[in-house]
Amino acid sequence: MAANQSQPLRPAPFSAPAWQLAPGLIIALALIGLVLLGLGALLHTAGTLEFEELWQSRYLRGVVWFTVWQAVLSVILSLLIALPVAMTLARLSHFPGRSLLLRLMELSLVLPTIVAVSGIIGVYGRQGWLTSLLNDWLPDHGWSLYGLNGILLAHVFFNAPLAARILLQALESVPAPRLRVASQLGLSGWWLWRAVRWPALRPVLPGVSALVFTLCFTSFAIIMTLGGGPRATTLEVAIYQALRFEFDFGQAAILATIQLVICGSLWWLVFRNRLESSLLPDRRFAETVSLKDSPGQGLGRVLLLGIFSVFLTLPLLAIALRGLPALWPASPMPSIYGQLLPATGRSLLIAVPAGLGAVVASLFTLAAANKPGNRILAAIPVTTGYLPLIVPPLVLGTGLFLLLRPQLGNSAQGWVLVSLINGLMAIPFVLQVLRGPLNAIDKNTLNQASQLGILGWYRWRWLHWPRLRRPIALGLAYGIALSLGDFGVIALFGSPGQPTLPVLLYQQLGSYRISEAAGTGLWLLLLLVTLFALLSRVARRAPGTNTEPAPAAAPEPRHA
Amino acid sequence: MRFRLPLLFAALLPAFATAEPAQVLNVYTHPSFAAEWGPGPAVKQAFEEQCECELNYTVLESGGDILQRLRLEGSSTSADVVLGLDTATMEAARQTGLLAPHTLTLNNLALPVDWQDDTFVPYDWGYFAFVYDTELLPEPPASLEELVNAPDDLKIIIQDPRTSTPGLGLLLWMHAVYGDDAHAKWQQLSGKVLATTQSWSDGYFSLFMNGEAPMILSYSTSPAYHMAVDNTDRYQAARFEEGHYLQVEVAALVNSSKNQALGREFMEFMLSPAFQRHIPLKNVMYPAIDLGDELPEVFDRLIRPSKALFLEPAEVARERRSLVNAWLDAMTR
Repeated sequence: MAANQSQPLRPAPFSAPAWQLAPGLIIALALIGLVLLGLGALLHTAGTLEFEELWQSRYLRGVVWFTVWQAVLSVILSLLIALPVAMTLARLSHFPGRSLLLRLMELSLVLPTIVAVSGIIGVYGRQGWLTSLLNDWLPDHGWSLYGLNGILLAHVFFNAPLAARILLQALESVPAPRLRVASQLGLSGWWLWRAVRWPALRPVLPGVSALVFTLCFTSFAIIMTLGGGPRATTLEVAIYQALRFEFDFGQAAILATIQLVICGSLWWLVFRNRLESSLLPDRRFAETVSLKDSPGQGLGRVLLLGIFSVFLTLPLLAIALRGLPALWPASPMPSIYGQLLPATGRSLLIAVPAGLGAVVASLFTLAAANKPGNRILAAIPVTTGYLPLIVPPLVLGTGLFLLLRPQLGNSAQGWVLVSLINGLMAIPFVLQVLRGPLNAIDKNTLNQASQLGILGWYRWRWLHWPRLRRPIALGLAYGIALSLGDFGVIALFGSPGQPTLPVLLYQQLGSYRISEAAGTGLWLLLLLVTLFALLSRVARRAPGTNTEPAPAAAPEPRHA
Repeated sequence: MRFRLPLLFAALLPAFATAEPAQVLNVYTHPSFAAEWGPGPAVKQAFEEQCECELNYTVLESGGDILQRLRLEGSSTSADVVLGLDTATMEAARQTGLLAPHTLTLNNLALPVDWQDDTFVPYDWGYFAFVYDTELLPEPPASLEELVNAPDDLKIIIQDPRTSTPGLGLLLWMHAVYGDDAHAKWQQLSGKVLATTQSWSDGYFSLFMNGEAPMILSYSTSPAYHMAVDNTDRYQAARFEEGHYLQVEVAALVNSSKNQALGREFMEFMLSPAFQRHIPLKNVMYPAIDLGDELPEVFDRLIRPSKALFLEPAEVARERRSLVNAWLDAMTR
């Protein structure tokens, strides 16, 4: 007995404190290194910098101002829509078509811009369905998609569903006891919001706002297609111009730095004031808690969700109708599949590893950020996780190219590289999806686990994995989907002749094959729907009984 | 133990590489050339038959990206030939000093302008033009002046000169026709511009083919594709009295290439019918040499501009920035 006691227990695998911090910090440092390299390369080529001239330019000041202005408006509008939608969806946890609506919400962000924009134009454009209806009913309506209208509409279409999806996840993680108390007290309206909703939303809201802001801040093709002219120009456009057309590397570097400073400080603020994770025990209850509704609210909710669904569905329907003739012509097996199928294979080959990589990197980043200790040090990994979003792809690409060039010999390495970078670019989104659920585990549980020696691998396997299974599936779906729809990275590095799906789409567009391009767009849409549906199903399926954590299986009595 | 995984990864990478034949010619190009239905695959096949070598394409997003890649790689580039630069980017490419003289005699060219350049060899050309939808606009403007003076109900789609080749083409077109008056004419035109898109594809796919506007800035050869492949006469180019601005697409040899002789052989091949016959319908541009009867019949039905407007590439490089700034000023005022 005594001998047994003195023999030290074998520590859990990966339980050394370094495992929580080191991988995340390494990823963070690698990202910072990349950005510095990219900017450094531009500055090195540029020689002298003319800050003075830049600030004197009326045009460039206007660009910075417009970029910020449209992004702020887009954030406000997106959240104004996302908040009620998320709350309604949290309230109505069972209705037919709910999971379909969730899949649609996941979809809008990952669609290639050109496909989504063509759908939006098909509905709201001058010849769009809704505009035509409006023309019949209200001849003098004065609606025009082109200008700030169109930019905001498209940004809301892309971002409101994403924001609502993340907010919904936060609302669904509200501890049941809190809901139960709220129900017993008969809380509703403002009081319900104050006591239940707001505390759940508050930790994720700054991050969601910053994410939407950054996405709109760096928006490019939407601004140019729907903005109506050069009055609507973002910094990203100016950087593209400086790099690709004027080869003015100094100006490009300065503009990229401005963008980095504005968006980077926003993220820094978000994470510096990071709110502590929930203090309430997170225990599950067998019965769902129902909150009382006033009669009018029910109707309002149905109406809200109805309008939101139509708003999301119509452009997708326009894409489907436009693409259908190419995918479904009279002949039994249209020739388009001869290109589509191999391109799909290549795309998946790149996207699946990229998605997996993004999830793993995000988990490491969050682990490092959650390590108790210096707050500022902890904010570094998460803030840098968002760098791929803030740094213009051209700058990041230049850095990566300089870093990895010696290995850029043959095409197989090229594919590996593209997959790697796609994974990097997906990190910000996966981080956003995983951050809330990971932080939702309360302190007591964590302390208890530490006391019991549930550390390292075991802690991850038995404490985090059961709670993170679904968010991880969603994060993985986002990671894969973003890489599937990506055109930028692969174009940046140059592909060998065989195209992936988005490259195929652009090749078709560049060669007047308009209807085939529409078909490819629809194919991509279907592929993305399948992907999200599949992963959400896999995550929902109950794992074998031996993997289900014991506490969840035992419901607590309702009147504990 | 900890180092085994990266090692394994590094060891696997070369396994993907295939055995290489005696000589490989690497060509940097852009997507519309290398696409499956573009001229690229047919050209590859024809050239490989005659050279007993392998022709490889590296596909970059645009002419600007080809140039940028070349700059970054400098003399260690793996490119032997760059194909897909044009009159707007060639001057900047020349200034890198990374390109070699072609030393070919360019006496069989069929371009509307006299071409004497010791670095760049043209492989196709075309005119910028406004393509219109005959169902929405039966009577298009007959001149640039008529377009500028048209009522603002007439909507057009153009591309941004800061990001797109045809966009820059229109800027130079207006400059060539109006000179110092261009600023005022742009202001007049701006009321008719429905959208200024990033790229030609964005405008053509999302807007023009959705019927959002009856006219789009494109090429005079665009209708050839619609007539020959789509079998429709619906989309036609409007002929403008003042003449049309010319675009020439070019290729060049890379200085540091170890396959100079093979590269030169490819450039010579580029000006032969075996290469050029794929240009008209696959790149939808005019071939750089006279193809005689091989030129598809639909090309006879395209507009014939009275005059080819063209600024020397060196002049374009000098003036582009001030022209773009003046354009921005006119359009945002």
